[in-house]
Amino acid sequence: MSAGPYNYSYIFKYIIIGDMGVGKSCLLHQFTEKKFMADCPHTIGVEFGTRIIEVSGQKIKLQIWDTAGQERFRAVTRSYYRGAAGALMVYDITRRSTYNHLSSWLTDTRNLTNPSTVIFLIGNKCDLEGQRDVTYEEASKFAEENGLMFVEASAKTGDNVEEAFLETAKKIYQSIQDGRLDLNAAESGVQHKPSQPGRNPLSNDQQANKDNCAC
Amino acid sequence: MPVLTLQRSYKYIMYATKQPSLRIKQADLKCKSGCGFFGNADWEGYCSQCYRNHTDSERQKKSHQGGSSDHSKAQVSGFSKFEEKKRQQTDKKTRYMKSLPVFRKTSNVKDVGRPENLVDIMRQANPEANKLMAEFIAQYSQYGEGIRKDFLKCSQAFSNKIVKELDVKPMEDLAEIAQNYYNQYQNRVNSNPTYQNVPNDVKDRLVEFFENFTMISLYNFLFCPPTTNDEEKDLTIQGRIRKLSWVNAHHLDCCISETSIEVRDLVYTAINDLLGMDSMRAPQEKLACVVKCCRSVVEVLQHCQGGPVSADEFLPALIFVVLKANPARLKSNILYVTRFCKESRLMQGEAGYYFTNLCCAVSFIENLTAESLNMPEQEFEAYMSGEVTCVSAWESALVACEGMHQLREHLALLKGLSERTQIVQNTTKSLWEDMQKLKEGICESVDSVLERTPLIIKPRTSPLALTREQLLAQAAARTAPNPPEPEPEPAPRNFYLKNLSFGHLSAFETPKSKLQLDISPCIALKPSHSGDQLSSPAIDKTPGSLTPDDNSFLGLSKVNYDIDLSDLSTENSAADELTPDKRKSPTPSVDPFSPVGGSCPVAQPPLEPSRGEFVLPFLVEETLIDKSELTPAASLPPPLVPSAPEYSGFSKQGSRIPSIPCSTGDYSSLTSSPGHSNA
Repeated sequence: MSAGPYNYSYIFKYIIIGDMGVGKSCLLHQFTEKKFMADCPHTIGVEFGTRIIEVSGQKIKLQIWDTAGQERFRAVTRSYYRGAAGALMVYDITRRSTYNHLSSWLTDTRNLTNPSTVIFLIGNKCDLEGQRDVTYEEASKFAEENGLMFVEASAKTGDNVEEAFLETAKKIYQSIQDGRLDLNAAESGVQHKPSQPGRNPLSNDQQANKDNCAC
Repeated sequence: MPVLTLQRSYKYIMYATKQPSLRIKQADLKCKSGCGFFGNADWEGYCSQCYRNHTDSERQKKSHQGGSSDHSKAQVSGFSKFEEKKRQQTDKKTRYMKSLPVFRKTSNVKDVGRPENLVDIMRQANPEANKLMAEFIAQYSQYGEGIRKDFLKCSQAFSNKIVKELDVKPMEDLAEIAQNYYNQYQNRVNSNPTYQNVPNDVKDRLVEFFENFTMISLYNFLFCPPTTNDEEKDLTIQGRIRKLSWVNAHHLDCCISETSIEVRDLVYTAINDLLGMDSMRAPQEKLACVVKCCRSVVEVLQHCQGGPVSADEFLPALIFVVLKANPARLKSNILYVTRFCKESRLMQGEAGYYFTNLCCAVSFIENLTAESLNMPEQEFEAYMSGEVTCVSAWESALVACEGMHQLREHLALLKGLSERTQIVQNTTKSLWEDMQKLKEGICESVDSVLERTPLIIKPRTSPLALTREQLLAQAAARTAPNPPEPEPEPAPRNFYLKNLSFGHLSAFETPKSKLQLDISPCIALKPSHSGDQLSSPAIDKTPGSLTPDDNSFLGLSKVNYDIDLSDLSTENSAADELTPDKRKSPTPSVDPFSPVGGSCPVAQPPLEPSRGEFVLPFLVEETLIDKSELTPAASLPPPLVPSAPEYSGFSKQGSRIPSIPCSTGDYSSLTSSPGHSNA
């Protein structure tokens, strides 16, 4: 028990998706370790990473699931969409095919996550400006049409990586505040960990319900 | 990479000269306390018995030191200390109450509240548990309601207990509690009279289901709980396996041939099975995944060797699979199963054996050194630090396979698309046919209606005298069409007449309108009839000429509007008011109509008011016209529609009775604009 059990008040679950080799694992590694991982082995199935961030004074633990881009493991990775509060959809700005596949990734995400899931589009490898194959305008138009947040980032230099993760968290936190995201819903992807043993006000209502219940 | 190949050949030599063996030493696996049993990394290297003793003694030491450390961990304030005391009391109570289920409710009420709520939330947020419950009811309802109630009671007591202790006790204790509950329930099933009639195999299933159900509903609390460092362990081993991605089958001295496609596919099956473990919730299900994976591994080995598989070969192969799979939250999963799977299941049988092997594989990976891979320290270090990278056959195959895989996927997609296109084409065709049928049907029904209707209209005798006049009027109209008409006398004043004339006009102008004629008689009887559309084209031509008159009329018509609304049902009254002519000649008999037909060509201006008179229900629409008269061309068409039936009726008459002598007076009245008549 190195750290206190509840040194954060929420857990947000993220999922990173996108074609093979667009740099999903590197983005995650850059975010959690602040290092660029050269020669990153192919992800098999899923891997995960965590980091605690702060949004509006609340400590939030991000639990990020990095999925394999390969079709072969699609069956495995699909089970991780369920219960994701945020989805980072990554493409490689130097490879158009990865951009072209976005719509199918988006369809998957929309089908398998709940409507309140925040989807963030990331054009990775923006340090390779010379090899650019997808323009910023095009991608941002796509994002706008589909109601996604969008940024171009580089896992290598770390540009915008932090921002993408943080913005997503902010959006999720906002929808919690707005009540759009139901914490008690089965697959909201958000867990509330009360930082104090004293319970949240919710419990009183539910206590009352319980008492009325005949069972 | 010449260096690499050299190194590899060096390895081969090693293999050839030295009989390779499992590279986990016996001593590594023995219990730390030296009791002679095998230890387990999860039990800090002790065997299960020694570990328990060890932790017990640790805990005692801790409690001697004073509960403060424990309290600080759980962030317990002064108040919650009291709360805890109370909780302990209620624990005792509930333990007792469990045997007396009647009192459970009262105990709930007295409870601190929070555990109940958590359980409640847990239920709500756990559709899987609900599904299981439904399944339970479906399966076991035949044995009586009592069983279900008892089951629910026991599982709830269990859940409540666990949730209550969640923050207070370490996971190991919770695991013990769980095991106790499993055993209790088993005893209960075997001895309690409620379960008397249940056959033995069902009893076993019930016990299993108990474990399954409770664990699924408690999963969020017990899997990788934040009170432990399970997650850190997960991350550690995940990172380690990632670093070890260069390890291949040869390093492990296992006979998996990485280049064979079939073998690779089999290995992938095994990997997928293992990966599935994390998405399962109940310990049994996770265990089942391990078993499935291990069976696949055995299959791989059988395929590679073409013979029976020994345990010595199995473990390296499993290690290889674990290394290649890098399963998510591996440690958490293993710990969860160890803690909360029923002990008896873990201790015996195929599942127990394979699970132990998996634990061994994991601990091997954790403790793996250059020596255990039979390779020089330097080489090992070089690989681990990433200085030397080798592109393994495995990795490259993975990439190549992905291409093939996508190709296949796309082909499947294309096939699906073409199928869908086919379906769309077929539906289009059938839709087209339907439309054709509909069209024919409509034509037929229209024809039949046409056949039927003319009969009704024919008998018209009285207007004959007028018709002659009409004819004359027609002749006059032809000779001097548009301009002269407005002037003439307002003698007949029957707006009916105007209508009639209009209809007639249409008949003249458009020979097609014969059809309309047929319908119109009916309409004449019943003004609201729906023949309108047919006749409308004829009318459309008139508006242009109408407009000026309308404008002049504006004021009047507006006034009328109100009236019209009020007595839609009443007959011409409103219209009469509209048009002074009407008032003067309050007998708008049928006769006048027929003659009017003759006046057709120029009669257009007065048409509007006449419409109103004719078809009461449509008066409203007439008023619409009035409103929009400022932009006459656009506004006119709609109002015309309602009036259409009338015209058509008359026009029909007109066409039928072209020989009627025209009454010039009528004609003039028609042509005269209302304004004139007023004057």
